[in-house]
Amino acid sequence: MNRRIAIRNMALILGSAAILPSCLTDKGKPVVQLKKLKVDADQEKVVNNLAETILPKTDTPGAAELGINLFVFKMIDDCYDKEHQADFIKGLCDFADAAKKQLGKSFNEATVAERTAFVNTVDINAKNEKYKDVTKLTAFYKMVKDQTVFGYTTSKYFMTKQIVYELVPGRYNAYFPVKKLAAV
Amino acid sequence: MSTNTYDAIVIGSGISGGWAAKELTEKGLKTIMLERGKNIEHIKDYVNANKGPWEFEHRGGRTQQMIDDYPVLKRDYPLNETNLDFWTNEKESPYTEIKRFDWFRGYQVGGRSLMWGRQSYRWHDTDFEANAKDGIGTDWPIRYKDLHDWYGYAERFAGISGNKDGVPILPDGDFMPPMEMNIVEKDVQKRYKEFYKDTRHFVIGRTANITVPHNNRTNCQYRNKCWLGCPFGAYFSTQSATLPAAVATGNLTLRPWSIVTKILYDKNTKKAKGVEVLDAETNKTYEFFAKIVFVNASALNSAWVLMNSATDVWEGGLGSSSGQLGHNVMDHHLGVGAGGRVEGFEDKYTFGRRANGIYIPRYRNLNGEKRDYIRGFGYQGGGSRSGWSRDIAELNIGGDFKDALTEPGSWGFGMGGFGETLPYHENKITLDKTNKDKWGLPILAFDVECKDNERKMRIDMMNDAKEMLENAGVKDVKSYTTDPVLGRGIHEMGTARMGRDPKSSVLNGNNQVWDAKNVFVTDGAAMASSACQNPSLTYMALTARAVDFAVKELKKGNI
Repeated sequence: MNRRIAIRNMALILGSAAILPSCLTDKGKPVVQLKKLKVDADQEKVVNNLAETILPKTDTPGAAELGINLFVFKMIDDCYDKEHQADFIKGLCDFADAAKKQLGKSFNEATVAERTAFVNTVDINAKNEKYKDVTKLTAFYKMVKDQTVFGYTTSKYFMTKQIVYELVPGRYNAYFPVKKLAAV
Repeated sequence: MSTNTYDAIVIGSGISGGWAAKELTEKGLKTIMLERGKNIEHIKDYVNANKGPWEFEHRGGRTQQMIDDYPVLKRDYPLNETNLDFWTNEKESPYTEIKRFDWFRGYQVGGRSLMWGRQSYRWHDTDFEANAKDGIGTDWPIRYKDLHDWYGYAERFAGISGNKDGVPILPDGDFMPPMEMNIVEKDVQKRYKEFYKDTRHFVIGRTANITVPHNNRTNCQYRNKCWLGCPFGAYFSTQSATLPAAVATGNLTLRPWSIVTKILYDKNTKKAKGVEVLDAETNKTYEFFAKIVFVNASALNSAWVLMNSATDVWEGGLGSSSGQLGHNVMDHHLGVGAGGRVEGFEDKYTFGRRANGIYIPRYRNLNGEKRDYIRGFGYQGGGSRSGWSRDIAELNIGGDFKDALTEPGSWGFGMGGFGETLPYHENKITLDKTNKDKWGLPILAFDVECKDNERKMRIDMMNDAKEMLENAGVKDVKSYTTDPVLGRGIHEMGTARMGRDPKSSVLNGNNQVWDAKNVFVTDGAAMASSACQNPSLTYMALTARAVDFAVKELKKGNI
């Protein structure tokens, strides 16, 4: 076999075995257990902080306290295809880069107010159909926001404390007043 | 008497197999019900039925591993985390697609009665007469009057909730109290009635969920977890209804892990003497003998069993002398409809999760109307309020956004069509002898597609849905359609059809195989046309009727 083809094939095999981020900085191992995604501790923290910025702790628990960040990683690690996982990793780098450029410091080092301001801009862009993003930042952000909101609204805390989920409603009321928190 | 000898054998334990076992055992016949898959014990084996949504690792979704493992199931909604064990392992049991066919199977005791949609509608004489009037396929050997009493019998035992709506095309049944429409459905229904008067109808779905206690089963608790198995036994399944009735007679033997490889045909008596079984766990072969064999393996697998049987007499298998065995595959074509937004009612929500919707029965090509296609379609749908995960336009992130997630979104209304598929002789399944399943058995090859009549019908199905919703006051209505793929309806029918003539049908008017009078096929295979109503109630009625006939014939010494 032609040596160059052999090397290329080897690279393809390696490339499909793990999704390697382009900006891997190797700043320690992440806490979250991942099967396919490769992120370092710093990048993990970016996602954790982003989830908490989307749904912060107020007088009710936020994403971090409820472990929503772990859910986000689990869903993207287990349920997304290779292409989307690659976008996630690439977009995570793009997000970190853009934050650093705008804030003059890393997203993780920024204050809550600074993070909120930055993510607000990202969110507005993500909702703007005309906004064109040449990077994967928006794609990454949408994945994290979707899974953060999904994870939160299907969490035990939300379904038992914020709304009332009854495992056995026992009846169907077709005209239930909204004022009383309704079961789903 | 050998321990392998019974009065009757039932192949398959799904909706029709369970009914056959119940009827045969209640009439005093020692019966063995053979199921190719694992056992599922009522309540005990419904492992996910009492979990909250948050207890599923991926909240009920699908992982890439599942997508890799289930190349067919992934094509539509059934692939999910909550009841994966109820769907057939596709690596063990593959099939060949000459043309795409989505075959969603359930190999276990109870079959797909555990996951079925439960909508239960009677047919009408329009349906039974259609083939004869159109000169298509073969005429049904029965009419509505032949099934009328059996429909009632099936409904009273299964427990069908519904409203006596008096719609001519959709005969009323012996119903339990109907479920209620929600406030938006009632509003849409009111305006629909004002617009369409008595020309079209909008009714609450008729579903096999009991609304009052029945035969030691608890009435529906509005959990909407029906395809996980119901610990209350509130929806009809083999486990909740027919199996306990059959067991109570003391006449039933249930044998899981029993793949029936062939019906043993006796050339001299021209009858079946039993079946050959391959034990799916041990790979050992057994023979079971009986006076009567009921084939209820689901339409396509029932045809598979017949194709593998008596091949020394008929090359194409038992029932193939007509040239129709495995042909005329039908389903309902779907994936077309419309939906929109409903204004108002913001102070109202629903409490409880109703596992049912509304139904719009067929109205096309009736009362002299002639479209550019024949037959018709119905719709299933409903009104609902969007949930907590919705995107809130005016709020981006933060504490206020988090709080707003607790508020329900706006009301919407959507519905999808179920269209009749014609029996085309060239839509067929055959044995693929070059490819084998895990047990070395030949697999099925599918050559089935939607044709011109279905494609033309779908244009009406899409446009009518939009028009009707707009006429009923729904806003921003958007219609949709998809490439019609058969199998998706999970209503496989037609592969061993009933008829009046052994030259053009596999079964006679009593579901007897013309070529072996003690073999009966009473699942979807028996259907000569598909109509557009969900078919399972008709299988129940056909099965009870055929057992009644079979036992009378047995007593007369005719079989």
